[in-house]
Amino acid sequence: MFDFFRPLSTDSAASVQWIDSAVKNSASRNRLLLWVDAVGGFFVCQGNEVRLGQAVPGSEVEVPLLADLSRHHATIRRDEEGYTIEPIRDVWLNHQKIERVSWINDGNLIQLGPALQMRFTRPHPLSATARLDFVSNHRTQPSASAVLLMADTCILGPGSSNHVVCRAWPHDVVLYRQHGGLYCRAGGALEIDGKPCDGQGPLTPQSRVSGDEFSFSLEEI
Amino acid sequence: MLTWIENPLFKPEPTDESMEPHATQLDQNAPRGGPVKFTYANGARPLAGYTIKRGVGRGGFGEVYFAVSDGGKEVALKLIRHNLDIELRGVTHCLNLKHPNLIALYDVKQDEQDNSWVVMEYATGESLEDVIRRHPQGMPADQVADWMHGIAAGVAYLHDHGIVHRDLKPGNIFRDDGQVKLGDYGLSKFISCSRRSGQTESIGTVHYMAPEISNGRYGKEIDIYALGIILYEMLTGRVPFEGESVGEVLMKHLTAEPSLAEVAADYRDVISRALAKDPTRRFESIGQLVSALPAVAGAAYRAPLVETLAADAPLAANVERLPPPQAVYTPQAANAPQGQLAQQAPPPSGGLFPDDEPIWRAVRDGWRSTRDSWDNLGTPSKIGVVVLGVMLISNSYTWDFAINVVPPLISLYICYRVARFVLMQQAGHSAATVSAPPRPEPIPRPTAAGPSEPAATMYQATSSDARRPEWRHVGKRGRRGSGRHWREQAAAALVVKSPRERLADLAGSMIFAAVICAVMCVVAILLRGGESIVKEQYAWLALVSLLGSWAILIPSKLWEGTLGDQTLRRVALLIVGLAMGAVAYLAADMLMITFPDTPSLHAVSSNLGGRFYDAKGAPLLYAYLAYFGGLFATVRWWKQADPLRHTRLSLWNTGWSVFAAWVIDWIWAFPQPWGLMVAAIISISVQLVSPFVPQHDRVARTAGME
Repeated sequence: MFDFFRPLSTDSAASVQWIDSAVKNSASRNRLLLWVDAVGGFFVCQGNEVRLGQAVPGSEVEVPLLADLSRHHATIRRDEEGYTIEPIRDVWLNHQKIERVSWINDGNLIQLGPALQMRFTRPHPLSATARLDFVSNHRTQPSASAVLLMADTCILGPGSSNHVVCRAWPHDVVLYRQHGGLYCRAGGALEIDGKPCDGQGPLTPQSRVSGDEFSFSLEEI
Repeated sequence: MLTWIENPLFKPEPTDESMEPHATQLDQNAPRGGPVKFTYANGARPLAGYTIKRGVGRGGFGEVYFAVSDGGKEVALKLIRHNLDIELRGVTHCLNLKHPNLIALYDVKQDEQDNSWVVMEYATGESLEDVIRRHPQGMPADQVADWMHGIAAGVAYLHDHGIVHRDLKPGNIFRDDGQVKLGDYGLSKFISCSRRSGQTESIGTVHYMAPEISNGRYGKEIDIYALGIILYEMLTGRVPFEGESVGEVLMKHLTAEPSLAEVAADYRDVISRALAKDPTRRFESIGQLVSALPAVAGAAYRAPLVETLAADAPLAANVERLPPPQAVYTPQAANAPQGQLAQQAPPPSGGLFPDDEPIWRAVRDGWRSTRDSWDNLGTPSKIGVVVLGVMLISNSYTWDFAINVVPPLISLYICYRVARFVLMQQAGHSAATVSAPPRPEPIPRPTAAGPSEPAATMYQATSSDARRPEWRHVGKRGRRGSGRHWREQAAAALVVKSPRERLADLAGSMIFAAVICAVMCVVAILLRGGESIVKEQYAWLALVSLLGSWAILIPSKLWEGTLGDQTLRRVALLIVGLAMGAVAYLAADMLMITFPDTPSLHAVSSNLGGRFYDAKGAPLLYAYLAYFGGLFATVRWWKQADPLRHTRLSLWNTGWSVFAAWVIDWIWAFPQPWGLMVAAIISISVQLVSPFVPQHDRVARTAGME
């Protein structure tokens, strides 16, 4: 009985917190952490507008960074034509200081503030999803290997042009958005939250997905 | 079974049913070296105070997770199941080491199920493995220098504290915040045991394994060897010894020479010295190795390290004077078309398959080993050999032989080579496909997703997964005959050898020796012609040769793979030889042999008088003792039984043994040719029956013709 109650009580405490944070952050900011076993942790932003700034308690930007930055340092936007960056404070694009909204292209180097450098890539030709990798020794908060600016799809798998390269995986797994929800599709057997699925299924912000030779989890921030 | 349970050191415990049966099942199903399955998913809290975020990889003994403490500290957690004391001892030993180039170990904690967790620093940067993968043609020199110095400083610190890393490999080395960090030290101490079982290991982990590990030796030298491999890999983008199976790679570590052709000239000496098969010929310390590295233009990194390692400076001064470990590394050899290096280098796919014809190779290797042995000879021995040679040449029979036999042999050989060449041309294509070592798939876009998944492959045991499937594929395509398997097994067996297996080996050799000795006696009878065959004499010869072979095989098996003190070994063999002399005397006595060819007493023996020889000049017990004792102590017999000798049967060795017998005969005369025949037969039978690992991997090259 004791064992039964204990997790329940922590759960309820967590859920209060969760509601609190959900109202304040997550619902508005639409972010996830994607933890891919044996590969890495990824900071997934699903919105079309992503603000970057210093990670401070109560930080309101989508991508809080542990760096010498302003609380809101720059904004990256995505539309049909591509990505742009709006400098709020000092921003350099390919070592050129920018003063106004500028296009960002595959392979560009973005520098925020005195030291933080990130590489912007759009690995997959058929997807608008982009990826930000740290070139300098800086991190997001909570920490992740890279930031994924997710459009409608995000592809995980062995191919080198995937958004998340998982070398040991037998096939690709696609996360995609449909009807406002997040779904998962795979070429092989798939289990979502312990339930076998027929190739695809809906995900919750806390889902655990596993297959024959891979597994990953989502975590709401 | 969990992978480590394969090791006989660790008895499989009955699986605790209450304890994650799920996990055990996963482990069973996990393909060897394949993707890793994790027991705990995001959000799990198996260890109080920490929340698991994701699985990172699987080290030798357990799963590694990235977790965050309740206070917010990011850590790596390594799960050690069933509270393996032996593993934990290694960890606790290292728990308080402090060095900027080592991943810090914070603590060891128990969970409620009595599993242990090692709490350690989480390195966020990419691993050296990732960096190497990004540079399939080799990394730039300044980066190589930077990594090397960081790794060397960390390893030097470990060595300084009496710890051998044992598991150095790019997958265990990270760059975090600009700092090179070594991981998995202290954890690997006993993993290596399970490594040796060969069966459970993924191929990536054996690429860095020094040859002497096969004999259970785990000195500092194995780290130096691994560092040599890593240096090679950083410079060329691939490891020097590749193969399709664990056995094949291990065999190459034991026997093959690295191909240094594609390594920048400045680095060749360092690598060849670090990769010497004989651990005593490697650098004595990490400091020596570092000092021998070429200076690099942008080597600002060098400064701090030189300070740390200043203590090694005097030693480093010796480096220059020592000869390179192998003659084959000289630039001339590198250019020689038929040289060993050319063999080792991957044949260009679709190009002409480099001809490596076995007979030619045998002749060449024989010549090479003769030349090496000649170089190692002392002056008196050289004079002896020259005198023998002159005697042979001045003999008219020798010339008859040369004129009548050699030209036909050469013309036969030429015909054979032509026929072979034609066959090879046909088989060439498939052979080339088979033998070309597959290279890791180059990543076309270095800046794309791949490189910066920090620590994505951290602690992964499956370090070369990316290459493995390709190898398998090639293997299937190559239609390998069953011929490959025994060789692989032989190499793997040599690596595993437990005392029991050695005993089995020895028994086999001893039985086989009986056959060889009998055959050699028949050959001796045939050679001497029908004249005056005395059964007892040949029985004595067979018996004494057989016992002599055994008397050498047994201690050699004990010494196999170790580098004991030569003097002690000679003394031991002297004792064995004295016993052998007594036995030979008793045998002669029992068989009531009177040797017809009584020894012609030479200078020394003529003065020995009545205790050694009777009135007719026949030897007495003392003469036997002296002759056999001398014979056993003079020749380094254990070298003839070494599985890693140059060739299986070296006539040079046999000739040398006979020569030694002849010299001893000058001091303590013995009825000849019996004494010489005993020496020759012992030498031949010891070499034929002792296990032998072929010098080169012939599989890949002969596959096309099978």
